[in-house]
Amino acid sequence: MARESPAEQAQVLVKSRICNPNFIFSIFSNPPDSNYSKLKYIISSSLTEACNNSVLLLGPRGCGKVAILELVLEDLLEEYPDMISVIKLNGLLHCDHNCALKEISRQLCQEHQLLFSKMASFDDNAQFMVSMLRECGLAHKTIIFVLDEFDLFAQGKQLFLYSLLDAMQSVTSQAVVIGISCRLDADQLLEKRVRSRFSHRKLLFLPPSREDTERLLEHILLLPTNSSFPHEYVTAFNVKLLKIFADYKFKEIVDTLSYSDSTVNHLQRFLFSTVSHMDLKSGLLSLENFKAALSTIQRQPKLEVLKDCSILELYILVCMKRLEAKEQELRNFNAIMKEYKSIHDTFQTSNYYARNVCLRAFEHLLQRELISFEDNRGHGQSAEFRPVKLLISRPELYQGLKSYPSCPAILHKLMDRDG
Amino acid sequence: MADTPKTKKSKNLNRTPEQKQKQPTSPPDHLIVPSTPNSSLRRSIRLTATATPPPPSSLQKSPHSTAKPPRNYQNAPKSPSFTISISPTSPEPTESKKRRKNTENQDMDLEKKRILRSAKANAIKSKKRMYYKKVVFDGVEFSAGDDVYVKRREDASSDEEDPEVEECRVCFKPSGRRIMIECDDCLNGFHLKCLRPPLKDVPEGDWICNFCTARKSGAMVKFPEPPNGKRLRTAREKLLSSDLWAAHIESLWKEADGTYWFRARWYIIPEETSSGRQPHNLRRELYQTNDFADVEMESIIRHCYVMNPKEFAKAGNEGDDVFLCEYEYDIRWRSFKRIAEIDNNDEDGEEADGDEDWNSCEGSDPDTEDNIEYEEENKRSTLTGPSSAHPMAANSRKGRIFGLQKIGAKKIPEHVRCHKQTALEKAKATLLLATLPKSLPCRDKEMDEITAFIKGAICDDQCLGRCLYIHGVPGTGKTMSFLSVMRNLRSEVDAGSIQPYCFVEINGLKLASPENIYTVIYEALSGHRVGWKKALYSLNERFSNETKCRKEEIRPCILLIDELDLLVTRNQSVLYNILDWPNKPNSKLIVIGIANTMDLPEKLLPRISSRMGIQRLCFGPYNYLQLQEIILSRLRGIDAFEKQAIEFASRKVAAVSGDARRALEICRRAAELADYRCKRLPSLSNSAATGKVLVGMADVEVAIKEMFQAPHIQVIRSSSKLSKIFLAAMVHELYKTGMGETTFEKLAMTVSCFCTSNGETFPGYDILLKVGCKLGECRILLCEPAAKHKLQKLQLNFPSDDVIFALKDSEELPWLAKYL
Repeated sequence: MARESPAEQAQVLVKSRICNPNFIFSIFSNPPDSNYSKLKYIISSSLTEACNNSVLLLGPRGCGKVAILELVLEDLLEEYPDMISVIKLNGLLHCDHNCALKEISRQLCQEHQLLFSKMASFDDNAQFMVSMLRECGLAHKTIIFVLDEFDLFAQGKQLFLYSLLDAMQSVTSQAVVIGISCRLDADQLLEKRVRSRFSHRKLLFLPPSREDTERLLEHILLLPTNSSFPHEYVTAFNVKLLKIFADYKFKEIVDTLSYSDSTVNHLQRFLFSTVSHMDLKSGLLSLENFKAALSTIQRQPKLEVLKDCSILELYILVCMKRLEAKEQELRNFNAIMKEYKSIHDTFQTSNYYARNVCLRAFEHLLQRELISFEDNRGHGQSAEFRPVKLLISRPELYQGLKSYPSCPAILHKLMDRDG
Repeated sequence: MADTPKTKKSKNLNRTPEQKQKQPTSPPDHLIVPSTPNSSLRRSIRLTATATPPPPSSLQKSPHSTAKPPRNYQNAPKSPSFTISISPTSPEPTESKKRRKNTENQDMDLEKKRILRSAKANAIKSKKRMYYKKVVFDGVEFSAGDDVYVKRREDASSDEEDPEVEECRVCFKPSGRRIMIECDDCLNGFHLKCLRPPLKDVPEGDWICNFCTARKSGAMVKFPEPPNGKRLRTAREKLLSSDLWAAHIESLWKEADGTYWFRARWYIIPEETSSGRQPHNLRRELYQTNDFADVEMESIIRHCYVMNPKEFAKAGNEGDDVFLCEYEYDIRWRSFKRIAEIDNNDEDGEEADGDEDWNSCEGSDPDTEDNIEYEEENKRSTLTGPSSAHPMAANSRKGRIFGLQKIGAKKIPEHVRCHKQTALEKAKATLLLATLPKSLPCRDKEMDEITAFIKGAICDDQCLGRCLYIHGVPGTGKTMSFLSVMRNLRSEVDAGSIQPYCFVEINGLKLASPENIYTVIYEALSGHRVGWKKALYSLNERFSNETKCRKEEIRPCILLIDELDLLVTRNQSVLYNILDWPNKPNSKLIVIGIANTMDLPEKLLPRISSRMGIQRLCFGPYNYLQLQEIILSRLRGIDAFEKQAIEFASRKVAAVSGDARRALEICRRAAELADYRCKRLPSLSNSAATGKVLVGMADVEVAIKEMFQAPHIQVIRSSSKLSKIFLAAMVHELYKTGMGETTFEKLAMTVSCFCTSNGETFPGYDILLKVGCKLGECRILLCEPAAKHKLQKLQLNFPSDDVIFALKDSEELPWLAKYL
């Protein structure tokens, strides 16, 4: 296989950086007030002081809760080899208490090379967990339970959380429960007796500030100077990038990007698309790449769907809109057909189609979720008679019609009239 | 019996116990020196004041002369004779391979001995053995549970002149009346006066002799030569240089041919473990192994004392033969594990119950050991990883959990030993929820009431309808008070003042289903595990059957059901059954239910509430004085908290819930924060080094905030611009319409209004919808699924005032304030 050019290699390197959360979040690990060092302190102190702890990591999605935790765990595993076993559960998979305990037993067995039995009952698994906690505590081993989507564990009777937290109420056990949730009120979901056993450490993860975003951009995109890349290429690449970073147009792009969503996750996706747009001939990133990426990342799905609609479908939508404006009670296919007919009669348009054609257009709109049935009842009824509602607001429809290349003038007129 | 106490007494007389005060000295800090754990009294003080005449060592005696008839039969187990098929050879091969390092002829000896013994053992396997708890052998009493030195070689002639008394390393005279001090490094003894410069008192902390300090600094040092040319080594030195063994006597018996044997559990010195001596091992440290052997009593030299760290710290005058044992070493997996102290107590209790248990587990031992040996052999040949030969899965219980012995640390981590706890760390440790407090303050009245109830119920012949319902909010010490009452009662049972009972504890939340409780109760009472229907049938029979006159046989049974409300099923049959049993004439059942809600009995069917609701006990929430007392009682003797800080925490918790767990957690968290502050922030570490860091109000306040406040304000403040505008529009909409709920369509209109009139770009409906859903994900908003699009209903999840507070002075969007 031919050797890749430096540009391709650089693209691969930056892409792999973007896909590696550990790399991205490693710049947040230094200052003492960062979540990284706080979390590390909590876990390592419960390691060295042989105590139990429970922490909640809260924050919106895409702010690096799991990534920071992974970083911390990786470091601790290196620092204290053979003293930590990590058990990972996910609320989406293991919200049922039976299944959660089974999974814990399975992972514990795997970790300690014990034989695992699928047949064990809830009691057996609970007992096994308790005795494992004890044995591991005696051997100075800490078990770290990572509960992703913590809020989902708090459904129902919370048997699992109770038995886990209650098992930790013993001197011999050493365990840390780390709950991860994007719900800010996750600890309020716990039942009183469970909450009372939970030690309420909370770490809040927030989207990065403006300065952090800039640091992050440099951290991700700049190529390392001491690497296998040719020296001239690296300097050219970095100089070009720094020039772009200083450009006010680039700052505008970043502003629009973080205007709606300032999380790291969003930034990551943006950068990935930028790097994918990179011109491999020159091997340098340009401002156009960033612009293109911005437009791909800020999609307007409903408007795009409207663009794909046929003219007949647009007619149906406008009819729906008019019916809504008239505040007619029953809006189903027949009512729409009546309206369509009346429009046709008044304006003598050229686009008049037969009823069965209209029905197909109507069904197509349903599939596209531009309209939907009013309720879920009456599955037996045929589609024509079930009441429907419009899922697109007037301004959107208006905008969609405007941007539609060959939209009949009559539709614009109709929209204007009732607006 | 007659001579046993005498020897003991004379021994005791010969040693003069003496207490020392100590002056504080700073331990050397240039290298990691493990300090003797919790050393209130130091091992270095050695007070073998007068020479004890060593009892003639037992080894020269021929077997028949040693066979003194043991005189204390009364201490022997009640059923002294039974047959056990122990194959005494089993642990030997590993034993010989491991222990033998220096001489081969020992191997030969052992080999010979083993063959002999196994032959003997096979011959007498069928005959009866007499088991004893105590055996007087050569005038010294040995009992099961003692620790002894065991001869390593049969031919060791030097053992003859084994000195019991240690000499001073300088003047080579026994200590006499003068005080000797022990070097913590080389373990040699010195007279205080023989040292250069002489010491007046025994210093506190670890002390290292001049020779060792000189050697460490690189100089060649020679100890003074003993006058008679040959220095006698003490048993301790021999043990630590692996010329002797130490063992724990598990059981003693007399074979049919009249020889006395004991089952030894070997101790091992750190050098013989796979990881060798670790830098933080103490000089006198031994490890208990899980390696057993049957040894003849002849090879015992004398007693030694192996103690756990607590006893070790307290021990003062046992002389030279004191060792510390904190860990168990698994010879098969080569791993360490702490020895659980609590456990030992429990086992003692069980042993007293009956011999059958003990017996059966003895019987099963050979198998497992054979197995172990076999597998070890396997492993050696193939050098594979973990053997898959375990027949049983670890998590299917069937009476025991398999394979747990695999778990263990390969090395004892350093930080466990070499770490001096600061006041803050001590405070954190005592504030842990798991640490049992020494006393339970503020619950005396309730505990008295429980005690009176239970005593009344037990002593009552019929004990009809005894149910107690305990209620109170979480963290008010319900279960803990009850369990401590049970502990007190148990000691009374031991003293014999009340009749024995059995106690079953069940937690409603730990049952897979409410019906499962029958299984659990039945298992606790009878030891068998059956399905719940069968268990219910048998329990019904047991509690209600009047025909069988077994009144004397059945002990009263106390059934504690924690989290009782979890047992409420649709037709409430479980609760009814359980609460109905006490009313049966011969049931002798006492049910105690614990739950949080006060009116649980009223919510139930009348036939149940009439059975349960008569006697109730309420645990009220703690007030702030009580919480303060609880925290202070835990922190006694540790100077880490400001007084106001504790008061602040307890007042706050008392105002919210009165939950003691919360109060303790807040204090612990505050201590953690203070600790973090002085450890991680370098600017403050100077103050930490000079003075002590006290937990102050600020820390407590941060901890309280963390516990009680949702972090939504911070999240709102740091969220993106569009989400701020979104939230402002929500508040605006709320004030305009007065309705909490709004739809996405209306809201989007407002947002686009805001944007156009303030020069922001309106990004479009789809992006706005996404922003709304993200806010909904964090539960700042409550919203319907996004599929509803413009009809999606939205509602603020937090008070609008909070949102206004968070958004009012936003720097990015100053114009938001006018809409709020």
